[in-house]
Amino acid sequence: MSSNLRITCGVEPQTGSVIIPVAVSEVFESLMAPFGFFNPTKGLLGELNFSRGVYSLLSESEHLEFESVRHLAQAISDLDSIGIALSQMDSEEFAIWCGLGKSEARTHLLELMNSIDQVRIRVQKAELRLDFVQYRPSPKVLMRSLSQLALVGVGCDGRQLQRAWSKSAPESLPKKWVTRFESIRVFSGHGTLSEREALLFVFRVKWKGVGNTDPAIGMVRNHLVIELGGVRRFLKLPAGCSRMEPGSVQLSKNKFEIDFVVKESEWPRS
Amino acid sequence: MSDDNNGQNLTSDLGSWLISMGAPVSITELMPTEITGLDIAPLMTMLGGIGIRGGVRGSIAGEQSADTIRWLPIIY
Repeated sequence: MSSNLRITCGVEPQTGSVIIPVAVSEVFESLMAPFGFFNPTKGLLGELNFSRGVYSLLSESEHLEFESVRHLAQAISDLDSIGIALSQMDSEEFAIWCGLGKSEARTHLLELMNSIDQVRIRVQKAELRLDFVQYRPSPKVLMRSLSQLALVGVGCDGRQLQRAWSKSAPESLPKKWVTRFESIRVFSGHGTLSEREALLFVFRVKWKGVGNTDPAIGMVRNHLVIELGGVRRFLKLPAGCSRMEPGSVQLSKNKFEIDFVVKESEWPRS
Repeated sequence: MSDDNNGQNLTSDLGSWLISMGAPVSITELMPTEITGLDIAPLMTMLGGIGIRGGVRGSIAGEQSADTIRWLPIIY
């Protein structure tokens, strides 16, 4: 995949413009039909609609179009969910899932997983353009969607945003909002586990401004889930967390912390 | 897929089960009756044992899917 990707948010995508690799489309067909109702990961994938956005990200196109910043963030989030679900599945399960033993299923699965990894790199390096000519959201809505985009690891250049705004509005963006938009930081996707006291650990995640974003935070298997209005980012937890019980989340302005209590019954004594 | 379709009241023939899992009713017309009438209870037991997540294991045993997100309480 090339890294010279250009993404425009704010325009109606042209139908039929997306070409995706055959292996990828075959896996997605297996997800949906004819045995798609075998969905083995209902918890993660059940709420997703395998929208055009996901297909677009997996395509080899050099120019992608999304209706809005929100749609781009959601597509990246959906693709991440698929990646997590697939990585949790072993080949035996996958063979059954994709039609009780399709010979190429495993190859296609591995190809899709690799594609998902490449998409993340490709999108993060992409040139992002905003277009508010057809529809200009309110600054408040834009703040929300740019935060969602930052959560999934993609930043937006402030000058580009102001230019796009000026093209669509009689007045330039108020200074107050420029400052707020510039304060948005891309989420690094890292956290650290440290020992607070005997049998009590804390997993600390720093993200500037997270306290203002009203996130939901949860766990699925060995991943932490951070969600802003349906857009999710997954963070792999250290191995030890699976043998500990999570407590509540302490959310502050620029970080959040989760206590993990060691379940003594899960650990062998020497 | 409705809650009624999660297999709690599982019928043991393949055709009924496929429909209960969301397949179109016409699927029974597309498949030979020897297949749709197949007793799948042993197969379900076997699949449950090897860890098919959510769609099969969760549906037959009524247990929560391992892929369900467990949301944590937040303190500000």
